Amino acid sequence: MNYIPHTGKHISKMLAAIDCRTVDELVPDQVPRAARLDLGEPMSEMDVVSYIESLAAKNTQTKCFAGGGSYDHYIPSAISHIVLRGEFLTAYTPYQAEASQGMLQALYEYQSYICLLTGMDVSNASLYDGASALAEAVLLAHSYTKRRGVFVDVGLNPAYLQVLRTYCEGADIFISDTINDDVACVIQQVPAFDGSIKDPTHMAEKAHRNGSLFISCISDPTSLAIMRPPGEAGADMVTGEGQSFGIPKSFGGPCLGFMAVRSALTKKLPGRIVGATQDGSGRRGFVLTLQAREQFIRRERATSNITTNQTLLALSATIYLALLGRTGLRSVAHTSYRRAHRLQQMLHTRGFRTITPGPFYNEFLVETPRSATDILERLQRCGILGGIAVDDHQLLVCCTEKNTVPDMETYARGVSMQ
Amino acid sequence: MIAQDQNTPENLIFDYDQANTGHIRTDEDGIKDQFPERDYLPLPDVSEMQVIRHYTELSRKNYGIDTGIYPLGSCTMKYNPRVNEDLARLPGFAGMHPHAPPPHAQGALEVMWDLQEALKEITGMDAFSLQPAAGSQGELLGVMIAKRYFAEMGERRTRIIIPDSAHGTNPATAATCRFQTVTVRSDERGNMDLGGFRKAIGDDVAVVMITNPNTLGFYEEHLQEITELSRKHGTLLYCDGANMNAMLGISKPAEQGFDMMHLNLHKTFSTPHGGGGPGGGALGVRSFLEEYLPVPRIVRHDSDSTFDLDYNYDKSIGRVHSFYGNFGIMLRALAYIKSWGSDIVNVSEAALLNANYLLGLIRDVFDVPYDRRCAHEFVVSTRRFGEKSALNMAKRMIDYGFHPPTVYFPLIVKEALMIEPTETESKETLDRLAGALAAIAREAEQNPDMLDGAPHTTATRRLDEVMAARHLDLRWRPPEE
Repeated sequence: MNYIPHTGKHISKMLAAIDCRTVDELVPDQVPRAARLDLGEPMSEMDVVSYIESLAAKNTQTKCFAGGGSYDHYIPSAISHIVLRGEFLTAYTPYQAEASQGMLQALYEYQSYICLLTGMDVSNASLYDGASALAEAVLLAHSYTKRRGVFVDVGLNPAYLQVLRTYCEGADIFISDTINDDVACVIQQVPAFDGSIKDPTHMAEKAHRNGSLFISCISDPTSLAIMRPPGEAGADMVTGEGQSFGIPKSFGGPCLGFMAVRSALTKKLPGRIVGATQDGSGRRGFVLTLQAREQFIRRERATSNITTNQTLLALSATIYLALLGRTGLRSVAHTSYRRAHRLQQMLHTRGFRTITPGPFYNEFLVETPRSATDILERLQRCGILGGIAVDDHQLLVCCTEKNTVPDMETYARGVSMQ
Repeated sequence: MIAQDQNTPENLIFDYDQANTGHIRTDEDGIKDQFPERDYLPLPDVSEMQVIRHYTELSRKNYGIDTGIYPLGSCTMKYNPRVNEDLARLPGFAGMHPHAPPPHAQGALEVMWDLQEALKEITGMDAFSLQPAAGSQGELLGVMIAKRYFAEMGERRTRIIIPDSAHGTNPATAATCRFQTVTVRSDERGNMDLGGFRKAIGDDVAVVMITNPNTLGFYEEHLQEITELSRKHGTLLYCDGANMNAMLGISKPAEQGFDMMHLNLHKTFSTPHGGGGPGGGALGVRSFLEEYLPVPRIVRHDSDSTFDLDYNYDKSIGRVHSFYGNFGIMLRALAYIKSWGSDIVNVSEAALLNANYLLGLIRDVFDVPYDRRCAHEFVVSTRRFGEKSALNMAKRMIDYGFHPPTVYFPLIVKEALMIEPTETESKETLDRLAGALAAIAREAEQNPDMLDGAPHTTATRRLDEVMAARHLDLRWRPPEE
């Protein structure tokens, strides 16, 4: 494809203007030259499309009953129509505020939505994903309390725990078995990885009595439409994964990390933050603010090394929340809740004992009467991704508003077949 | 215009629902008995048309590459093929759950495998991880791996050498991993100063982080000596690949002596920047560091050529992403590389030509701090026009219909304008941009008030950033709160 506009004549003219015969003269002799790259013949747009489509065809498309940090909620059509507008899609980070008011205002709205949902004071303008958002929160807690320990309550997504361990090793922070004087923060995922919902108040109080910060980690934030917000239960920070808000699963990425905190922690937040201000005539406008926290100014004393994050997906989430509103979002949450409980009953009668203790939202862990991997393979043949095999006899099952009753019946029939 | 009557630009999305009290009827499903339910959720209920008009109106107040040239230095704001957006949205990829069993995700795994192979060929590195979600996370992963590598060797190394021209992420990354940053200044040709480097290097230096070409827009000329000295001290050489758009098919970082590097997949390999992400930050390493890469890794079984996810690497650093990285960005990168094939060298050659041509057009208008050919971008100084002149000229460019370049970076050049035209801009556009810069320079001398108040043509004029930081207003609050 023609992505470079120059003709041969242009190139000659431009080379002549800079007094060069070849482009190679622009590269110093000290730079070792590469042999011609072996990347195959160039492909036309049409050939690229059929090549990529042929790869897509090698994936099995199924009805999705899997969660575990990536959720199959319905994505309203209007979202991609707006985010694909070139003014949003092809812009850079809004350093030049006057030329970027649209994105800046949308991010201000995003921050507002996150605060309203979590019950917190301040949100940043997004982070990479749920796992690294949690790790960034731990770095913040260490920087704020000067303590080196972190206590993780049971029920954290194992992948998040793995990411946390990796970050902790890099930052000389350790995972503590108890809540003691060295503990900077206490982490609790709600709903937990097995779907269970605990009242965070007790753990928050325990953390605060110990002088530690309490971090609430949210896996599927549609749950916030019906659950009491973590801010009301004593959370100092709420982090999570925003993929549920209008972002495709896309084999796990890109997704959307979010982070909201109490106002006392504002100046320790990582990432971009948008604030409202005025121009000379008193007209409201928006800018990136508190930039003195950030790496491009503060360098080794920055709150985080983060730069580019997930702006376009923060925009997607904003439009999703605008389209659904409180009524729509609550309907998504109630439907997901109802569907999951119905499927849990259906599976229960077929010998799948529920392991998740107590109440759950839209995910639950079951013990499988036969090998979980075999059951998943059987369901694949019925066109269903039946969940996540946590081990050989445990299956994590999830429902959203997209999982219809006929699909659930197919699921139930699939697991009943001998 | 009718749209503007209903959606005045002053409106926030929250202003459309005047009936929003936030109070909600609870216990619709008997949930109250199950767990603590919320009784207050002040999200506005707005019609779909209002939403579309609101965000369409906002988009009209935003400048993107589609609007015009966006010569932000160090950001590689090139045109990104639109077809890649369609490909990333194919249901066979966009609808894939990350926990789909590998036998049913062969296409997705093949995309990742093929991309890793292509990146190995482009950089000369021996292995890649696609997990990092952005360049800065790639860097972080690289430094974490270096830390683990030396810990396993039983060596305690505490310092990382970084040139003064480096992006702020480099020292911030070092600090996150508890290393001390040693800054080496740049010499009179804009290279990392060799004398300074000799003094700084030692057996306690874990990593030397170098951006090549550097942020002044120059290929480092002393890499051979730096590599030799680093090897002598057992120090790892890290390449910040932010400027890879100047090296595709021209030179391979591994052949320059680097042990590890990250690529900003979105910048070099065509994901639109989206107002600040999502991106991708693949990390490449030489073979002796491969065993430390995060899990799961993509493997191909020799027996039947099928692809799989492999978690069994004892020495792996662990993981940096909830799943496998930003797959959608990998897909675009693969499509872009396939579309160019071996001709991808044309990208870097045109990027070099455009930057040098534009520099030639404006070198007499501004001060050029280093007199040499540039790579894909360059830095000039507006210091002859006085303090704040870079900021004022940048704002004035908006009135001329151009997005401003990067300003006040790198920090070592006073009143810096850092300009990266990229390969996708035409000669005519570069001529027009140079003309506008010359006109603005004339204004700076003859009519400086014009610049102080710029921009004059935007809906909101120069915004008060000091006020924003002093009187924090970071969110909408419901009226009754």
